[in-house]
Amino acid sequence: MDTKMQKTKPSAEQLLYLEQSFNAIRDEVISDLGERDAKHIHKIIRIQRSCEVSGRLLIMFGFNPIPWALGAVLLGLSKILETMEIGHNVMHGQYDWMNDPNINSKTYDWDTACPGESWKETHNHEHHTYTNILGKDRDYGYDLLRLTHKEKWHPANIFQVIYYGLLSVFFQWGVALHELNFGGILKGEVSLKEKIPFLKQFGRKSARQIFKDYIFFPLIAGPFFLQVLLGNIVANLIRNLWTSTIIFCGHFPEEVETFSIEECENETKGHWYYRQMLGSANFHGSTLLHTLSGNLSFQVEHHLFPDLPAHRYAEISPKVQAIAKELGIPYHTGSFFKQYSGVLKRILVHSLPEPKTA
Amino acid sequence: MNALAQQGWIWFSQALTQHSSFSGYFQPLIQLIAPQWSTDAYRAQVIEIRDELADMFTLVLKPKTGLIDQQWPSFKAGQFIELMVEKEGSRTLRCFSISSSPAHYKKTGLIELSIRIQRQGRITPWIREQMRVGSLVNISVAQGDFILPTPLVEKYLFIAGGSGITPFRSMLQQQLLSEETEQRDIHLLYYSRNNQHIAFQQELEQLQNNCPNITVTFINGEQEGFICEQHVQNYCPDYHQRTSFICGPSPMIQQARKVLSDLKVDNSKINFEFFGAAPIEMKSTGQAIVHFQASEKIVVSEENKTETLLEQAEAQGLTPVSGCRIGVCHQCICKKKSGIVFNTRTQQYSDTGSEEIQLCISVAQGDVVLDL
Repeated sequence: MDTKMQKTKPSAEQLLYLEQSFNAIRDEVISDLGERDAKHIHKIIRIQRSCEVSGRLLIMFGFNPIPWALGAVLLGLSKILETMEIGHNVMHGQYDWMNDPNINSKTYDWDTACPGESWKETHNHEHHTYTNILGKDRDYGYDLLRLTHKEKWHPANIFQVIYYGLLSVFFQWGVALHELNFGGILKGEVSLKEKIPFLKQFGRKSARQIFKDYIFFPLIAGPFFLQVLLGNIVANLIRNLWTSTIIFCGHFPEEVETFSIEECENETKGHWYYRQMLGSANFHGSTLLHTLSGNLSFQVEHHLFPDLPAHRYAEISPKVQAIAKELGIPYHTGSFFKQYSGVLKRILVHSLPEPKTA
Repeated sequence: MNALAQQGWIWFSQALTQHSSFSGYFQPLIQLIAPQWSTDAYRAQVIEIRDELADMFTLVLKPKTGLIDQQWPSFKAGQFIELMVEKEGSRTLRCFSISSSPAHYKKTGLIELSIRIQRQGRITPWIREQMRVGSLVNISVAQGDFILPTPLVEKYLFIAGGSGITPFRSMLQQQLLSEETEQRDIHLLYYSRNNQHIAFQQELEQLQNNCPNITVTFINGEQEGFICEQHVQNYCPDYHQRTSFICGPSPMIQQARKVLSDLKVDNSKINFEFFGAAPIEMKSTGQAIVHFQASEKIVVSEENKTETLLEQAEAQGLTPVSGCRIGVCHQCICKKKSGIVFNTRTQQYSDTGSEEIQLCISVAQGDVVLDL
């Protein structure tokens, strides 16, 4: 359930102080960027490539269920790393300063059905600018789920836990088709015609992905066609379920707030920072968990500083928390299980209309 | 058919690896056994670092050969290469003339880069400090058309200013080492700031003694000043029979070109190579508005202050991929959505429509919209 907006919204002076403090944190990291960050992303890329190559080999030549399963898990792991810590972060421009054409937001395209270009528009631009503004941030519920009482209930919401399950299973396709704005087309707000360039882009990218995982690698396995096909399906499934879970934990745990378009008119950078803090949620865990989530376990820090290398979020988190505490701004965090059960609860609760109060 | 097959191959590679080449995908793994290995550059090892002057040093490089490394194709005397180094995690690229000769490379497998340390520079002082014997660097193929034409017997006038001596050292050394029987007649006018700043002085004096066709005139700028008609007439009276090659700092090149023109030397017989970016020679520099569309930034450039689009983007905190910064490497290519830009290298104005431009040599004219 949505908590009411904080009773005392920070004053203009406090928001200005927030803006200056967060800008200072950002400047400090920017001036310190260097070899350490380059080494980090190079290391993750090497681990990911090793996982992918060995995973594919094991799936193909495993010849018995245990190595096959290990191969599928390795390939799934590779896809998780590639989507989260590499693709998502590189495409945010976190490593553009390295001046490396292979690790650059302009050129990088990730191993998912979603075209990189489309992602940069819908995610980097729309979602990160209008985070949790109802009616503007289509990431909020993905036009599919009702997650706040501020949105009107519809009988179709009764089954939304099932939609959520399906979205998780086919998450890369959901993300890929996000730009289509199917909801908008149904409502007649958007014409299919203006989406033709996107559909072409989507067609090209998804054809490549299907060719790779479901045609080429199974075919070259010859007699082992089915085992490779199945292995690739499992690997993609692992990645889809995991990334969907992480993404949902970022903005939909119980305490996370939403905003109206009016609240955010003529917004200052300070208010933008404030909104990002209220609209995002972290979860804590081990370094491994953070890496596998692309450090989106520091969703708050990510939303404050989307283009700082994500492995830095853990380091700046204490500073962000200290400033939040000073100004009395909530900092949403909790264990992975607390956050995720909050998400599930929210999906269930809002699948039914609120009881009418007199 | 070939182009189609190539396109198909790129599609195949992208489908399987999200990279336009398979080696791009495997590069991080290959680097585990071959550090610095790169799909878009050759590897070379630093063999020696030799100080030439207080502010100039020579890097002796050996391009690697072997199973993993493709053979570095040779070069022509006068050409330059891009040197790529990684400073604090960031790839940086600079162009340097090769100061040794192809004949020397053939014999020893070594090339030399003689680099002037730019006092305020970000990269050249760092290279001098960080490079060690054994360090690995990346280099490109040799490029550039500041080379001597092939009909052999001809007379040349070389005009060098400061570190602009490097391509000439390569050409002179080539003449000395190559076994060609017919020798070119070369006269070198070598300008230096003062008598403390003459790189390769001994070597050039020796060369002059050994080769009757080579004349070297050292000109001390402190005493004799900038290049002028009297210098050319006095030191090289048969200048009008010679084809000229000029290399050095841009003001010196401008001046030398003017002097030769005034002496009625035909333009077709004047060749020159700028060290660094070509100077911006624009007729008018009115106010221009540059819109960096993807990053939602707008810059209004000041009148009479000409900055390249790359400089303007970087001043806004944007980090487009960039390379040589003098229009050679094409790494900073960016889509211009609309507007006119002036290309400082070709001295041409662009069309108004959408096209790919090189940011480092483009200056906005009026309003320009970039996909950046």
